[in-house]
Amino acid sequence: MTAAWRSVLPHLGYDLPPDLTPERTGGPVSTGLPLELVRQSISLREWWDIPEEVLAQYRKYRPTPLWRAHAFEKEVDARVPVYVKYEGGNISGSHKLNTALAQAFYYKRAGVTEVVTGTGAGQWGTALAAACAAFGLRCTVFMVGGSLRDKPYRGSLMRLLGATVHASPSGLTSLTEGGNSLALAIGEAVEYARGGEGRAFCIGSGENYSILHQSVIGLEAADQLHALGAEVDIVVGSVGAGSNFGGVALPFHARHRAGEADAVRLLAVESSATPKLTRGVYAYDHTDATGSGPMEAMYSIGSSFPIPASHSAGLRFHGAAKLLSAMRHHGSVDAVAVGQREALDAGRRFAVSELVVPAPESGHALAGAARAARESKRGVLVCVSGHGLLDLSAYDQLLAGRVRDLAADDSALAAATAGLRLVEADLTGVK
Amino acid sequence: MTTTHSRRDEVTLAVKRLVIRESRLSLTPADIADDEPLNGAVLRINSLGFLGMLVRLEDELDVVLPDDLFTGKVFTVVSDLVDVVLRAVEEHR
Repeated sequence: MTAAWRSVLPHLGYDLPPDLTPERTGGPVSTGLPLELVRQSISLREWWDIPEEVLAQYRKYRPTPLWRAHAFEKEVDARVPVYVKYEGGNISGSHKLNTALAQAFYYKRAGVTEVVTGTGAGQWGTALAAACAAFGLRCTVFMVGGSLRDKPYRGSLMRLLGATVHASPSGLTSLTEGGNSLALAIGEAVEYARGGEGRAFCIGSGENYSILHQSVIGLEAADQLHALGAEVDIVVGSVGAGSNFGGVALPFHARHRAGEADAVRLLAVESSATPKLTRGVYAYDHTDATGSGPMEAMYSIGSSFPIPASHSAGLRFHGAAKLLSAMRHHGSVDAVAVGQREALDAGRRFAVSELVVPAPESGHALAGAARAARESKRGVLVCVSGHGLLDLSAYDQLLAGRVRDLAADDSALAAATAGLRLVEADLTGVK
Repeated sequence: MTTTHSRRDEVTLAVKRLVIRESRLSLTPADIADDEPLNGAVLRINSLGFLGMLVRLEDELDVVLPDDLFTGKVFTVVSDLVDVVLRAVEEHR
């Protein structure tokens, strides 16, 4: 098992556009983020030793399995081998535990006693609840209310792990509407965290440090492929904000840039209901509904875009991570959008062929992998980021023929992005 | 006494240089008063910018600032930050 995370930042060859300070000013400055996470976000250091306490937790479920999916290849008429890296085998059921453990460790070391977060599908909330249990922190989760109603066992699991779970909007904060539902849940968590001593808001994915922690996925996968004598030329992952995709794909980019391996195509698969990478704009936008944080340069469909309910709550986010967005802007990341019917059907095909039920989010990656396996010359690696055992109602609806695609409407996209400031060419900084 | 004063001067200068840069201003450290608000009419430091600034301050002063020194604390004016960084520099050098 790898004992260090690998950062892609030193291999980009350009700086990420700086965040923009919100217009309103005044009042004191406070910090809730451990400095080590800031160092990991901005430093050009490539390798970061994983703290022993985090490694000890990783050893309970890592290395995660990688296998050649022969039956799935047959199911989707693949022309090349398809290798699956499976991150659903831990208690949280997804890749999110990789960064939750690291973040909980650093928050605890910084003197925080309670971490607060917002979650859509509940995978992040569950992961953070598990990490807090491991490191002795209190955990409060604001979960998108509709998602909690659809997946009550997510709430049960978080509570089992000791977390306090609130359906958002919760009535506990001043936020009752604004932005999309995940942005609102995150906004509530931000506000709630500000209201108590020892509390800190903790974000699930998208930040550079989160993507760094997820590099264990790609680093392990590269070693496992090498041990099998296998090669791939396309690496595929689904994108909500981008942490599982970044985790599986960016170590391959770093290896290539460091002269250690051939180039591979990095293929991000997003939901056609939230098509930021394929139909969004590269602009400064808020990451949550409070709009209190700095605006980040991201591919976005607008933080005010009314995202429809879907079976892939983990993909229902308006923007892509700033790191991933910059790489997309510079041509290092390809993207496709997939509708939820195709995604769930790819998930069904994977379940019957490989006997693993993937999360609907991972169904998007599998649909993308199925397409890629008809274009690839050498092989495809796909990250199945989580299991779908708490998403069976989605598969029930697929089998009943009741799943509809919810492609974003052009006029709604134009309206939600009209006021955003585009990232200027001189800020994208090619060196 | 002299050593303490020179260290305070060194930290104050480094902090002022960084708050000016973070606020994207064309001023000199001498233009910034010790009681200048960090987030006000002149300086425009937000929480995340503040954190990035602390990491750059580590490079500038060649120290590692401990996490628990800053998390949950409130900083209003330039000298609030100088006081805490100075304490860290003296404890960790």
